[in-house]
Amino acid sequence: MLHRLESLKSCTYDRMDMTVLERQAARLKWQQQNHVVQNNNPAELCASSVPRFQGLVGSNLGSGQMVELKRLEVFLGTDNFQEFLNFPVTGPEFGDSEKLDLLPPEAAADYCISRTSSCQITALDTAVMKEEREDMSLEKMESTIVSGRGSFNKRKAETVADHKSKDKRIKGEGEGESEVKTKCSTEISRNSSKENSKVSEVQKPDYIHVRARRGQATDSHSLAERARREKLSKKMKCLQDLVPGCNKITGKAGMLDEIINYVQSLQRQVEFLSMKIAALNSSVENLPMKEFPAIVANFPAAAKLPEMAGLPCFQLNPLQKESVNCMLNESMHPPQTEGIASASVSISEQSLSSSSMTQLQPFSTWNMDPQGLYNMYNMGFH
Amino acid sequence: MNKYNPPRMNPSSLRSRFATRFLRTLSKINAQKPTSSSSPTEIFRRYRRIKAAADKSMAYSVRSRRTWSRAMLWKLRTRPCGRRSVKTSTIIKSREARKTRHEKQNKNTTTTTTTTTGEDGVVFGVEADELRELVPGGEAMDLYNLLDETAHYIKCLTTQVQVMKKIADFYSP
Repeated sequence: MLHRLESLKSCTYDRMDMTVLERQAARLKWQQQNHVVQNNNPAELCASSVPRFQGLVGSNLGSGQMVELKRLEVFLGTDNFQEFLNFPVTGPEFGDSEKLDLLPPEAAADYCISRTSSCQITALDTAVMKEEREDMSLEKMESTIVSGRGSFNKRKAETVADHKSKDKRIKGEGEGESEVKTKCSTEISRNSSKENSKVSEVQKPDYIHVRARRGQATDSHSLAERARREKLSKKMKCLQDLVPGCNKITGKAGMLDEIINYVQSLQRQVEFLSMKIAALNSSVENLPMKEFPAIVANFPAAAKLPEMAGLPCFQLNPLQKESVNCMLNESMHPPQTEGIASASVSISEQSLSSSSMTQLQPFSTWNMDPQGLYNMYNMGFH
Repeated sequence: MNKYNPPRMNPSSLRSRFATRFLRTLSKINAQKPTSSSSPTEIFRRYRRIKAAADKSMAYSVRSRRTWSRAMLWKLRTRPCGRRSVKTSTIIKSREARKTRHEKQNKNTTTTTTTTTGEDGVVFGVEADELRELVPGGEAMDLYNLLDETAHYIKCLTTQVQVMKKIADFYSP
């Protein structure tokens, strides 16, 4: 058991070459002693030492382990392998005797903040192999450490099928593991970097890469939620650009209120304009439609405002006024926001109450551009 | 009218698409107007028609790329309208589309209720429902897609308002 522990112990990220040699020595010793077919040994080793390893790993789990995960994620995403190499890694403490230099978790986390992260353990393999020329088992060890809780089982070659992984990220690793498995069985004691590099090219399952920030939980639920929240806030910012006058308002609730009001006002404007067109159509001859598209098409947004300002107040004869009244009654029926509806009704009633033209001036204010109209609504409120 | 050369405009922009469609429909409506068209009821009826035409033109300009346009087209088609002949095939298609949307909605509402109430608080839930009522086809969407649709819907509504305003100004004496 002890020599197994030693072999495990020797698997660290740091000082790779040495540990490779150590491991090889350990393995040779172990193989000599057991005289068993190579294929079976890892299985045995795995089966017997897994619980112990799990115990070790489990005891070390905590913020340190989380940071560990983060750091590995950091490592995967960047090209700055050197940087990663420079800080030693806290492997699980196999034996208490082995002292590893531990970067304080905070420093490691600082790296996390500015890096892309990846959930791929096989990518980790790739990175490691390219830089370190690691042995297969070392990669497996590293990946088990990365995945943490129960995937150590999978990482040992032949036991992949038997042991289930508890980590959700293992999904994509399955492919890599099968490859790893096949290679492992043939070259457990070999230190060939070339064949290792073959495995590295294998797979990149697509995951959503999320940053684990400092001081925040890293389980997949909170990561997914954080991604969702960020998407939502991005969307809200886009909407803020669309809706005028939203710059001052902070907070999602207020923003949503503004958006709702704006949509309502736009819909009412459409209704009013269609009413106006209907009313005007009744009194005006049908104008040549060929000119229309050109004229209608030709309005840059900037020209809108001056035109609105210079708009002559439009005349409604009494009949048309009635019809407008009908429309307003109609549009009143589904009262959406009470405040706005009442304001609009009051304005329109005000405009319809008299038959003289001058009192139709308020109507012309309805011809303002949407933003102006919207501001008018707001002013009616505040 | 002043003669001026209109500057070059993107012929496939939303605005031009909507404008041409709406004007075409408007001319049709105008051509159909009876001689005694000045009664308020008649005007009111025409108003409804014009409004429907505006919405329909808008939805057609967007094609079926957006959920709200599909929902609006479906609503307009299945609305009891005397003159319009409803094609059963389109209804069936739209009903199937609606069924799939309902299925999605069932999935989404379960997720939506949990997420909107659990994470962003109850506040979001109330306003999101209001927004869903406003945006056509919004019932079958989760919050993220709803915001997406709302943004596009707002853009289309502003275009619609601009075009109609221009038309109204053109008509006005």
